[in-house]
Amino acid sequence: MVNVFVAGAGMTRIGRRSERLQDLMADAAHAALVAAGLETPDAIVVATMNPEEFLGDGNFASHVATHLGFADVPTLRVETATSSGAAALYAGFAQVAAGLKSSVLVVGGEKMTHLSTPRVSEIIGRSIDPYERRYGATMPALAGLITRALMARKGVGAREIAQVAVKNHANALRNPYAHFQQAITVEEVLESRMVADPLRLLHCCPISDGAAAVVLTSARAPVRVAGVGQGTDTLAVRHRAVLTSFRATRVAAQAAFAMAGFGAARVDFAEIHDAFAPFELISLEDIGLVPSGKAGRATLDGETALDGRLPVNPSGGLKGRGHPLAATGLAQIVECVWQLTGRAGDRQVPGRRVGLAHSIGGLATNNWVTILEAA
Amino acid sequence: MIEPIAASRCPRCAVVITPPAMYCPWHPVAMTPTVVAGAGEIVSFTTLHSPPEGFRSPLHIAIVRLAGGAHAVCHGAETRGLKIGSTVAIEAIDDVYYFSHLGAMDRARLFWRRTGHAGERVNAITRSLAKRVWKGRDRAAS
Repeated sequence: MVNVFVAGAGMTRIGRRSERLQDLMADAAHAALVAAGLETPDAIVVATMNPEEFLGDGNFASHVATHLGFADVPTLRVETATSSGAAALYAGFAQVAAGLKSSVLVVGGEKMTHLSTPRVSEIIGRSIDPYERRYGATMPALAGLITRALMARKGVGAREIAQVAVKNHANALRNPYAHFQQAITVEEVLESRMVADPLRLLHCCPISDGAAAVVLTSARAPVRVAGVGQGTDTLAVRHRAVLTSFRATRVAAQAAFAMAGFGAARVDFAEIHDAFAPFELISLEDIGLVPSGKAGRATLDGETALDGRLPVNPSGGLKGRGHPLAATGLAQIVECVWQLTGRAGDRQVPGRRVGLAHSIGGLATNNWVTILEAA
Repeated sequence: MIEPIAASRCPRCAVVITPPAMYCPWHPVAMTPTVVAGAGEIVSFTTLHSPPEGFRSPLHIAIVRLAGGAHAVCHGAETRGLKIGSTVAIEAIDDVYYFSHLGAMDRARLFWRRTGHAGERVNAITRSLAKRVWKGRDRAAS
Protein backbone atom coordinates (compact mmCIF):
# COMPACT_ATOMS: atom_id res chain seq x y z
CA MET A 1 0.00 0.00 0.00
CA VAL A 2 1.27 3.46 -0.97
CA ASN A 3 1.77 5.88 1.95
CA VAL A 4 -0.83 8.66 1.91
CA PHE A 5 -0.03 12.18 3.15
CA VAL A 6 -2.11 15.27 3.83
CA ALA A 7 -0.38 17.95 1.77
CA GLY A 8 -2.86 20.75 2.48
CA ALA A 9 -5.86 21.56 4.65
CA GLY A 10 -8.37 24.39 4.66
CA MET A 11 -11.80 25.31 5.94
CA THR A 12 -14.27 28.16 6.18
CA ARG A 13 -15.45 29.75 9.38
CA ILE A 14 -18.35 27.63 10.66
CA GLY A 15 -21.66 29.26 11.58
CA ARG A 16 -24.58 31.03 9.94
CA ARG A 17 -23.26 31.78 6.47
CA SER A 18 -25.02 33.70 3.73
CA GLU A 19 -22.85 32.34 0.89
CA ARG A 20 -24.01 29.54 -1.38
CA LEU A 21 -22.77 26.03 -0.57
CA GLN A 22 -20.64 25.84 -3.73
CA ASP A 23 -18.92 29.10 -2.73
CA LEU A 24 -18.19 27.84 0.80
CA MET A 25 -16.81 24.59 -0.63
CA ALA A 26 -14.70 26.53 -3.17
CA ASP A 27 -13.20 28.64 -0.34
CA ALA A 28 -12.23 25.53 1.63
CA ALA A 29 -10.93 23.72 -1.49
CA HIS A 30 -8.80 26.67 -2.61
CA ALA A 31 -7.33 27.06 0.89
CA ALA A 32 -6.34 23.37 0.90
CA LEU A 33 -4.91 23.51 -2.66
CA VAL A 34 -2.89 26.65 -1.88
CA ALA A 35 -1.54 25.02 1.29
CA ALA A 36 -0.56 21.99 -0.78
CA GLY A 37 0.99 24.14 -3.53
CA LEU A 38 -1.14 22.31 -6.09
CA GLU A 39 -3.22 23.88 -8.86
CA THR A 40 -5.13 20.85 -10.15
CA PRO A 41 -5.67 17.51 -8.36
CA ASP A 42 -5.85 14.16 -10.19
CA ALA A 43 -9.32 13.51 -8.73
CA ILE A 44 -11.93 15.05 -6.43
CA VAL A 45 -14.16 13.49 -3.78
CA VAL A 46 -17.15 15.58 -2.66
CA ALA A 47 -19.10 15.08 0.57
CA THR A 48 -22.54 16.60 1.07
CA MET A 49 -25.20 14.85 3.13
CA ASN A 50 -28.38 16.20 1.61
CA PRO A 51 -28.17 19.16 -0.81
CA GLU A 52 -31.21 17.71 -2.58
CA GLU A 53 -33.45 18.61 0.35
CA PHE A 54 -31.55 21.46 2.01
CA LEU A 55 -31.01 23.32 -1.27
CA GLY A 56 -32.94 21.56 -4.02
CA ASP A 57 -29.68 20.80 -5.86
CA GLY A 58 -28.51 17.37 -7.00
CA ASN A 59 -25.56 15.91 -8.91
CA PHE A 60 -23.40 17.82 -6.47
CA ALA A 61 -20.05 16.26 -7.45
CA SER A 62 -20.26 17.73 -10.95
CA HIS A 63 -21.76 20.92 -9.50
CA VAL A 64 -18.73 21.51 -7.25
CA ALA A 65 -16.15 20.39 -9.81
CA THR A 66 -17.51 22.73 -12.48
CA HIS A 67 -17.82 25.60 -9.98
CA LEU A 68 -14.14 25.14 -9.03
CA GLY A 69 -12.97 25.11 -12.65
CA PHE A 70 -12.30 21.38 -12.55
CA ALA A 71 -14.94 20.21 -15.04
CA ASP A 72 -12.28 17.90 -16.54
CA VAL A 73 -11.21 16.32 -13.22
CA PRO A 74 -12.83 12.96 -12.29
CA THR A 75 -15.16 13.67 -9.35
CA LEU A 76 -17.47 11.52 -7.26
CA ARG A 77 -19.70 12.14 -4.25
CA VAL A 78 -19.73 10.08 -1.04
CA GLU A 79 -22.51 9.95 1.55
CA THR A 80 -22.80 8.16 4.92
CA ALA A 81 -25.19 10.63 6.63
CA THR A 82 -23.47 12.85 9.22
CA SER A 83 -20.08 11.13 8.76
CA SER A 84 -19.96 11.81 5.00
CA GLY A 85 -16.82 13.95 5.34
CA ALA A 86 -14.89 11.11 6.99
CA ALA A 87 -16.20 8.66 4.37
CA ALA A 88 -15.02 11.01 1.61
CA LEU A 89 -11.58 11.13 3.21
CA TYR A 90 -11.51 7.32 3.04
CA ALA A 91 -12.56 7.34 -0.63
CA GLY A 92 -9.74 9.76 -1.42
CA PHE A 93 -7.28 7.84 0.77
CA ALA A 94 -8.16 4.57 -1.00
CA GLN A 95 -7.49 6.05 -4.46
CA VAL A 96 -4.04 7.28 -3.44
CA ALA A 97 -3.18 4.19 -1.35
CA ALA A 98 -4.09 1.93 -4.28
CA GLY A 99 -1.82 3.90 -6.60
CA LEU A 100 -4.74 4.92 -8.83
CA LYS A 101 -4.17 8.67 -8.26
CA SER A 102 -1.23 10.65 -6.90
CA SER A 103 -3.29 13.60 -5.60
CA VAL A 104 -6.94 13.82 -4.54
CA LEU A 105 -8.86 16.88 -3.34
CA VAL A 106 -11.45 15.92 -0.70
CA VAL A 107 -14.01 18.63 0.05
CA GLY A 108 -17.14 18.50 2.21
CA GLY A 109 -19.79 21.07 3.08
CA GLU A 110 -23.36 21.70 4.12
CA LYS A 111 -25.72 24.70 4.06
CA MET A 112 -28.77 24.54 6.35
CA THR A 113 -29.31 27.72 8.38
CA HIS A 114 -31.54 29.31 5.72
CA LEU A 115 -34.24 26.78 6.75
CA SER A 116 -36.26 26.72 10.00
CA THR A 117 -34.95 24.53 12.84
CA PRO A 118 -37.94 22.10 12.72
CA ARG A 119 -37.43 21.70 8.96
CA VAL A 120 -33.68 21.04 9.38
CA SER A 121 -34.37 18.53 12.19
CA GLU A 122 -36.90 16.77 10.02
CA ILE A 123 -34.50 16.48 7.06
CA ILE A 124 -31.65 15.24 9.29
CA GLY A 125 -34.15 12.86 10.95
CA ARG A 126 -34.73 11.10 7.63
CA SER A 127 -31.51 9.22 8.32
CA ILE A 128 -33.36 7.40 11.17
CA ASP A 129 -35.07 4.02 10.73
CA PRO A 130 -38.50 4.74 9.12
CA TYR A 131 -40.37 2.58 11.66
CA GLU A 132 -38.83 4.48 14.59
CA ARG A 133 -39.64 7.77 12.89
CA ARG A 134 -43.33 6.75 12.94
CA TYR A 135 -43.03 7.04 16.73
CA GLY A 136 -41.73 10.59 16.49
CA ALA A 137 -38.10 9.56 16.91
CA THR A 138 -35.74 12.42 16.05
CA MET A 139 -31.96 12.55 16.56
CA PRO A 140 -32.40 14.30 19.95
CA ALA A 141 -35.09 11.74 20.92
CA LEU A 142 -32.79 8.77 20.25
CA ALA A 143 -29.91 10.63 21.93
CA GLY A 144 -32.22 11.21 24.92
CA LEU A 145 -32.89 7.46 25.19
CA ILE A 146 -29.14 6.78 25.03
CA THR A 147 -28.35 9.52 27.58
CA ARG A 148 -30.83 8.15 30.13
CA ALA A 149 -29.37 4.65 29.75
CA LEU A 150 -25.86 6.12 30.11
CA MET A 151 -26.77 8.04 33.27
CA ALA A 152 -28.07 4.83 34.84
CA ARG A 153 -24.47 3.59 34.76
CA LYS A 154 -22.02 4.26 37.57
CA GLY A 155 -19.79 7.29 37.11
CA VAL A 156 -21.88 9.29 34.64
CA GLY A 157 -24.04 12.02 36.12
CA ALA A 158 -25.42 15.34 34.95
CA ARG A 159 -22.22 17.21 35.91
CA GLU A 160 -19.92 14.87 33.96
CA ILE A 161 -22.03 15.30 30.82
CA ALA A 162 -22.38 19.06 31.28
CA GLN A 163 -18.60 19.43 31.67
CA VAL A 164 -18.12 18.08 28.11
CA ALA A 165 -20.15 21.01 26.74
CA VAL A 166 -18.39 23.52 29.04
CA LYS A 167 -14.93 22.29 27.95
CA ASN A 168 -15.77 22.30 24.26
CA HIS A 169 -17.22 25.82 24.39
CA ALA A 170 -14.03 26.96 26.19
CA ASN A 171 -11.92 25.45 23.38
CA ALA A 172 -14.12 26.99 20.68
CA LEU A 173 -13.49 30.39 22.24
CA ARG A 174 -9.85 29.98 21.11
CA ASN A 175 -10.84 28.91 17.58
CA PRO A 176 -11.61 31.73 15.11
CA TYR A 177 -13.29 29.16 12.81
CA ALA A 178 -15.81 28.07 15.49
CA HIS A 179 -19.57 28.71 15.38
CA PHE A 180 -19.83 29.56 19.11
CA GLN A 181 -17.55 32.20 20.60
CA GLN A 182 -18.88 32.21 24.14
CA ALA A 183 -18.06 30.36 27.35
CA ILE A 184 -20.81 28.51 29.21
CA THR A 185 -20.98 27.18 32.78
CA VAL A 186 -22.10 23.83 34.17
CA GLU A 187 -25.07 25.60 35.81
CA GLU A 188 -26.15 27.12 32.47
CA VAL A 189 -26.06 23.66 30.88
CA LEU A 190 -28.05 22.12 33.74
CA GLU A 191 -30.66 24.89 33.58
CA SER A 192 -31.02 25.01 29.79
CA ARG A 193 -34.29 23.98 28.16
CA MET A 194 -35.15 20.26 28.26
CA VAL A 195 -35.18 18.86 24.71
CA ALA A 196 -35.48 15.08 25.14
CA ASP A 197 -35.39 14.31 28.86
CA PRO A 198 -32.64 14.07 30.23
CA LEU A 199 -31.00 15.75 27.22
CA ARG A 200 -30.96 19.57 27.37
CA LEU A 201 -30.44 22.26 24.74
CA LEU A 202 -26.83 23.01 25.76
CA HIS A 203 -25.97 19.31 25.40
CA CYS A 204 -26.73 19.59 21.66
CA CYS A 205 -24.57 20.90 18.81
CA PRO A 206 -25.89 23.83 16.75
CA ILE A 207 -27.15 23.85 13.16
CA SER A 208 -24.25 25.29 11.14
CA ASP A 209 -23.08 26.05 7.61
CA GLY A 210 -19.52 25.60 6.43
CA ALA A 211 -17.02 23.61 4.41
CA ALA A 212 -13.65 21.90 4.92
CA ALA A 213 -11.12 20.33 2.55
CA VAL A 214 -7.84 18.44 2.42
CA VAL A 215 -5.45 17.47 -0.36
CA LEU A 216 -4.15 13.90 -0.15
CA THR A 217 -0.95 12.96 -1.97
CA SER A 218 1.44 10.08 -2.43
CA ALA A 219 4.26 12.68 -2.33
CA ARG A 220 5.73 13.08 1.15
CA ALA A 221 4.18 15.86 3.29
CA PRO A 222 4.33 16.73 7.03
CA VAL A 223 1.27 14.64 8.02
CA ARG A 224 0.65 10.97 7.15
CA VAL A 225 -2.69 9.15 7.23
CA ALA A 226 -1.67 6.26 9.50
CA GLY A 227 -5.00 4.44 9.63
CA VAL A 228 -8.63 4.64 8.57
CA GLY A 229 -11.38 2.37 9.90
CA GLN A 230 -15.11 2.07 9.27
CA GLY A 231 -17.67 0.47 11.58
CA THR A 232 -21.38 -0.11 11.10
CA ASP A 233 -24.51 -1.01 13.05
CA THR A 234 -28.25 -1.57 12.49
CA LEU A 235 -30.23 1.39 11.14
CA ALA A 236 -32.80 0.76 13.90
CA VAL A 237 -31.53 1.76 17.34
CA ARG A 238 -33.98 -0.63 19.06
CA HIS A 239 -32.24 -3.69 17.55
CA ARG A 240 -29.04 -3.01 19.53
CA ALA A 241 -28.18 -5.14 22.53
CA VAL A 242 -26.73 -2.13 24.38
CA LEU A 243 -27.44 1.58 24.02
CA THR A 244 -24.48 2.94 25.97
CA SER A 245 -21.72 1.81 23.61
CA PHE A 246 -21.58 2.14 19.82
CA ARG A 247 -20.52 -1.00 17.94
CA ALA A 248 -19.82 1.16 14.88
CA THR A 249 -17.19 3.15 16.82
CA ARG A 250 -15.56 0.09 18.40
CA VAL A 251 -15.17 -1.65 15.03
CA ALA A 252 -13.93 1.53 13.30
CA ALA A 253 -11.33 2.12 16.02
CA GLN A 254 -10.08 -1.47 15.92
CA ALA A 255 -9.71 -1.29 12.13
CA ALA A 256 -7.94 2.07 12.22
CA PHE A 257 -5.49 0.98 14.94
CA ALA A 258 -4.83 -2.29 13.08
CA MET A 259 -3.93 -0.35 9.94
CA ALA A 260 -1.77 2.10 11.91
CA GLY A 261 0.05 -0.73 13.65
CA PHE A 262 -0.22 0.89 17.09
CA GLY A 263 -2.85 1.31 19.81
CA ALA A 264 -4.78 4.01 21.65
CA ALA A 265 -1.85 4.66 24.02
CA ARG A 266 0.00 6.46 21.20
CA VAL A 267 -2.83 8.97 20.60
CA ASP A 268 -1.90 12.46 21.88
CA PHE A 269 -5.20 14.30 21.17
CA ALA A 270 -8.56 13.54 19.58
CA GLU A 271 -11.42 15.15 17.71
CA ILE A 272 -14.58 13.33 18.84
CA HIS A 273 -18.12 13.44 17.39
CA ASP A 274 -19.93 15.23 20.24
CA ALA A 275 -23.16 16.05 18.39
CA PHE A 276 -24.65 15.43 21.84
CA ALA A 277 -22.33 15.95 24.83
CA PRO A 278 -22.81 12.43 26.29
CA PHE A 279 -21.57 10.95 22.97
CA GLU A 280 -18.07 12.25 23.78
CA LEU A 281 -18.00 10.16 26.97
CA ILE A 282 -19.34 7.07 25.17
CA SER A 283 -16.89 7.47 22.28
CA LEU A 284 -13.76 7.98 24.44
CA GLU A 285 -14.46 4.57 26.02
CA ASP A 286 -15.48 2.88 22.73
CA ILE A 287 -12.22 3.96 21.07
CA GLY A 288 -10.22 2.86 24.10
CA LEU A 289 -8.75 6.31 24.83
CA VAL A 290 -10.13 6.13 28.38
CA PRO A 291 -10.78 2.92 30.37
CA SER A 292 -14.40 1.72 30.44
CA GLY A 293 -16.47 3.63 32.99
CA LYS A 294 -13.84 6.35 33.51
CA ALA A 295 -14.71 8.97 30.85
CA GLY A 296 -16.92 11.00 33.19
CA ARG A 297 -14.27 11.16 35.91
CA ALA A 298 -11.51 11.95 33.38
CA THR A 299 -13.57 14.84 32.00
CA LEU A 300 -14.34 16.31 35.45
CA ASP A 301 -10.66 15.98 36.41
CA GLY A 302 -9.60 17.99 33.34
CA GLU A 303 -7.74 15.10 31.67
CA THR A 304 -9.47 15.91 28.37
CA ALA A 305 -9.07 19.70 28.65
CA LEU A 306 -6.72 21.62 26.36
CA ASP A 307 -3.92 21.41 28.97
CA GLY A 308 -4.80 17.87 30.09
CA ARG A 309 -3.18 14.49 29.48
CA LEU A 310 -5.35 13.88 26.39
CA PRO A 311 -6.89 17.05 24.90
CA VAL A 312 -10.27 16.13 23.37
CA ASN A 313 -11.88 18.40 20.80
CA PRO A 314 -9.30 21.20 20.89
CA SER A 315 -11.28 22.77 18.00
CA GLY A 316 -14.40 23.01 20.19
CA GLY A 317 -15.89 19.85 18.70
CA LEU A 318 -19.31 19.70 17.07
CA LYS A 319 -20.67 21.41 20.18
CA GLY A 320 -18.48 24.50 19.92
CA ARG A 321 -17.03 24.60 16.40
CA GLY A 322 -20.42 23.62 14.95
CA HIS A 323 -21.73 20.74 12.85
CA PRO A 324 -22.15 21.47 9.15
CA LEU A 325 -22.90 17.74 8.57
CA ALA A 326 -20.71 16.57 5.65
CA ALA A 327 -18.07 19.22 6.44
CA THR A 328 -17.64 17.99 10.01
CA GLY A 329 -15.62 14.81 9.36
CA LEU A 330 -13.17 16.85 7.28
CA ALA A 331 -13.12 19.82 9.69
CA GLN A 332 -11.88 17.32 12.30
CA ILE A 333 -9.09 16.22 9.95
CA VAL A 334 -8.19 19.86 9.23
CA GLU A 335 -7.92 20.51 12.99
CA CYS A 336 -5.69 17.44 13.43
CA VAL A 337 -3.43 18.58 10.57
CA TRP A 338 -3.15 22.09 11.99
CA GLN A 339 -2.38 20.71 15.46
CA LEU A 340 0.26 18.30 14.09
CA THR A 341 1.96 21.06 12.08
CA GLY A 342 1.87 23.66 14.87
CA ARG A 343 -0.64 25.95 13.18
CA ALA A 344 -3.50 25.77 15.70
CA GLY A 345 -2.94 29.25 17.14
CA ASP A 346 -4.25 29.88 20.67
CA ARG A 347 -5.48 26.31 21.03
CA GLN A 348 -2.20 24.64 20.01
CA VAL A 349 -1.45 21.52 22.04
CA PRO A 350 2.37 21.36 22.31
CA GLY A 351 4.66 18.57 21.10
CA ARG A 352 1.98 16.27 19.65
CA ARG A 353 2.74 13.44 17.22
CA VAL A 354 -0.52 11.48 16.77
CA GLY A 355 -4.08 12.80 16.38
CA LEU A 356 -7.32 10.83 16.07
CA ALA A 357 -10.60 11.89 14.44
CA HIS A 358 -13.90 10.11 15.14
CA SER A 359 -17.06 10.70 13.10
CA ILE A 360 -20.57 9.31 13.69
CA GLY A 361 -22.94 8.72 10.76
CA GLY A 362 -26.67 8.72 11.51
CA LEU A 363 -27.39 7.48 15.03
CA ALA A 364 -24.04 5.60 15.03
CA THR A 365 -24.93 3.42 12.05
CA ASN A 366 -21.83 4.26 9.97
CA ASN A 367 -18.84 5.52 11.94
CA TRP A 368 -15.24 6.31 11.07
CA VAL A 369 -11.97 6.60 12.95
CA THR A 370 -9.00 8.23 11.21
CA ILE A 371 -5.50 8.37 12.70
CA LEU A 372 -3.03 11.03 11.57
CA GLU A 373 0.66 11.08 12.40
CA ALA A 374 3.34 13.76 12.08
CA ALA A 375 5.56 12.32 9.33
CA MET B 1 -54.20 -9.37 29.41
CA ILE B 2 -50.84 -9.72 27.65
CA GLU B 3 -51.11 -9.09 23.95
CA PRO B 4 -49.18 -11.30 21.45
CA ILE B 5 -46.74 -9.22 19.37
CA ALA B 6 -45.81 -10.16 15.79
CA ALA B 7 -42.05 -10.66 15.42
CA SER B 8 -39.49 -12.60 13.38
CA ARG B 9 -36.55 -14.82 14.34
CA CYS B 10 -33.24 -15.41 12.54
CA PRO B 11 -32.72 -19.14 11.97
CA ARG B 12 -28.96 -18.60 12.12
CA CYS B 13 -28.34 -16.34 15.14
CA ALA B 14 -31.78 -16.63 16.84
CA VAL B 15 -32.14 -12.84 17.15
CA VAL B 16 -35.81 -11.80 17.44
CA ILE B 17 -37.01 -8.44 16.12
CA THR B 18 -40.27 -6.56 15.90
CA PRO B 19 -41.99 -5.64 13.66
CA PRO B 20 -41.17 -8.74 11.57
CA ALA B 21 -38.59 -8.22 8.81
CA MET B 22 -37.79 -10.22 5.72
CA TYR B 23 -34.06 -10.54 6.47
CA CYS B 24 -32.04 -10.69 9.69
CA PRO B 25 -30.14 -7.38 10.19
CA TRP B 26 -26.97 -9.44 10.76
CA HIS B 27 -27.37 -12.34 8.29
CA PRO B 28 -28.57 -12.54 4.68
CA VAL B 29 -31.12 -15.21 5.53
CA ALA B 30 -34.93 -15.11 5.56
CA MET B 31 -36.43 -14.68 9.03
CA THR B 32 -39.08 -17.01 10.46
CA PRO B 33 -42.34 -15.38 11.61
CA THR B 34 -42.95 -15.72 15.34
CA VAL B 35 -44.98 -14.20 18.16
CA VAL B 36 -43.66 -12.83 21.47
CA ALA B 37 -45.51 -11.83 24.63
CA GLY B 38 -46.27 -8.11 24.88
CA ALA B 39 -44.59 -7.64 28.25
CA GLY B 40 -41.05 -6.88 29.32
CA GLU B 41 -38.80 -4.28 30.88
CA ILE B 42 -37.93 -0.69 30.07
CA VAL B 43 -34.50 -0.36 28.39
CA SER B 44 -34.76 3.44 28.31
CA PHE B 45 -37.30 6.21 27.88
CA THR B 46 -37.43 9.90 27.05
CA THR B 47 -39.92 12.75 26.83
CA LEU B 48 -39.89 15.12 23.86
CA HIS B 49 -41.05 18.63 24.65
CA SER B 50 -41.14 19.84 21.06
CA PRO B 51 -41.98 16.67 19.11
CA PRO B 52 -42.02 16.59 15.32
CA GLU B 53 -45.08 17.68 13.40
CA GLY B 54 -48.08 15.38 13.88
CA PHE B 55 -47.29 14.46 17.51
CA ARG B 56 -48.67 15.93 20.75
CA SER B 57 -46.34 17.41 23.36
CA PRO B 58 -45.14 15.99 25.66
CA LEU B 59 -44.35 12.84 23.68
CA HIS B 60 -43.16 9.87 25.75
CA ILE B 61 -41.06 7.31 23.85
CA ALA B 62 -39.62 4.11 25.32
CA ILE B 63 -37.68 1.05 24.20
CA VAL B 64 -38.96 -2.12 25.87
CA ARG B 65 -37.08 -5.42 25.97
CA LEU B 66 -39.85 -7.98 25.53
CA ALA B 67 -39.73 -11.32 27.33
CA GLY B 68 -39.20 -13.04 23.95
CA GLY B 69 -36.04 -11.00 23.29
CA ALA B 70 -37.31 -8.48 20.73
CA HIS B 71 -36.99 -4.77 21.51
CA ALA B 72 -40.11 -2.68 20.86
CA VAL B 73 -40.24 1.08 20.45
CA CYS B 74 -43.45 2.45 21.92
CA HIS B 75 -45.34 5.45 23.21
CA GLY B 76 -46.70 5.89 26.71
CA ALA B 77 -49.31 8.03 28.42
CA GLU B 78 -46.80 9.16 31.05
CA THR B 79 -43.43 8.33 32.59
CA ARG B 80 -44.20 9.15 36.25
CA GLY B 81 -42.72 6.43 38.46
CA LEU B 82 -41.09 4.79 35.44
CA LYS B 83 -37.50 3.51 35.78
CA ILE B 84 -35.05 1.63 33.58
CA GLY B 85 -35.89 -2.00 34.34
CA SER B 86 -39.58 -1.29 35.21
CA THR B 87 -41.88 -4.07 34.07
CA VAL B 88 -44.50 -2.91 31.58
CA ALA B 89 -47.04 -4.36 29.21
CA ILE B 90 -47.34 -3.10 25.66
CA GLU B 91 -50.42 -3.11 23.50
CA ALA B 92 -51.09 -2.03 19.94
CA ILE B 93 -53.66 0.70 19.38
CA ASP B 94 -54.25 1.52 15.71
CA ASP B 95 -50.92 -0.11 14.82
CA VAL B 96 -49.00 1.95 17.39
CA TYR B 97 -47.58 0.28 20.53
CA TYR B 98 -48.15 1.84 23.94
CA PHE B 99 -46.47 0.80 27.18
CA SER B 100 -48.28 0.95 30.49
CA HIS B 101 -48.12 -0.28 34.06
CA LEU B 102 -51.73 -1.27 33.41
CA GLY B 103 -53.04 0.71 36.40
CA ALA B 104 -56.60 2.09 36.15
CA MET B 105 -55.47 5.66 35.45
CA ASP B 106 -53.00 4.54 32.78
CA ARG B 107 -55.70 2.54 31.08
CA ALA B 108 -58.02 5.56 31.07
CA ARG B 109 -55.30 7.78 29.57
CA LEU B 110 -54.49 5.16 26.96
CA PHE B 111 -58.18 4.96 26.09
CA TRP B 112 -58.29 8.75 25.65
CA ARG B 113 -55.20 8.66 23.37
CA ARG B 114 -56.73 5.76 21.43
CA THR B 115 -59.92 7.72 20.75
CA GLY B 116 -57.81 10.53 19.20
CA HIS B 117 -60.04 12.40 16.76
CA ALA B 118 -63.04 10.43 18.00
CA GLY B 119 -62.32 11.82 21.48
CA GLU B 120 -62.33 15.36 20.11
CA ARG B 121 -65.63 14.66 18.38
CA VAL B 122 -67.07 13.40 21.65
CA ASN B 123 -65.80 16.59 23.30
CA ALA B 124 -67.43 18.76 20.62
CA ILE B 125 -70.76 16.94 20.92
CA THR B 126 -70.65 17.28 24.70
CA ARG B 127 -69.91 21.00 24.41
CA SER B 128 -72.75 21.65 21.96
CA LEU B 129 -75.19 19.63 24.09
CA ALA B 130 -74.16 21.64 27.13
CA LYS B 131 -74.64 24.89 25.19
CA ARG B 132 -78.11 23.80 24.04
CA VAL B 133 -79.10 22.88 27.59
CA TRP B 134 -77.78 26.28 28.81
CA LYS B 135 -79.66 28.24 26.08
CA GLY B 136 -82.81 26.21 26.79
CA ARG B 137 -82.53 27.28 30.44
CA ASP B 138 -82.11 30.95 29.36
CA ARG B 139 -85.21 30.73 27.18
CA ALA B 140 -87.17 29.14 29.99
CA ALA B 141 -86.08 31.98 32.32
CA SER B 142 -87.18 34.80 29.94
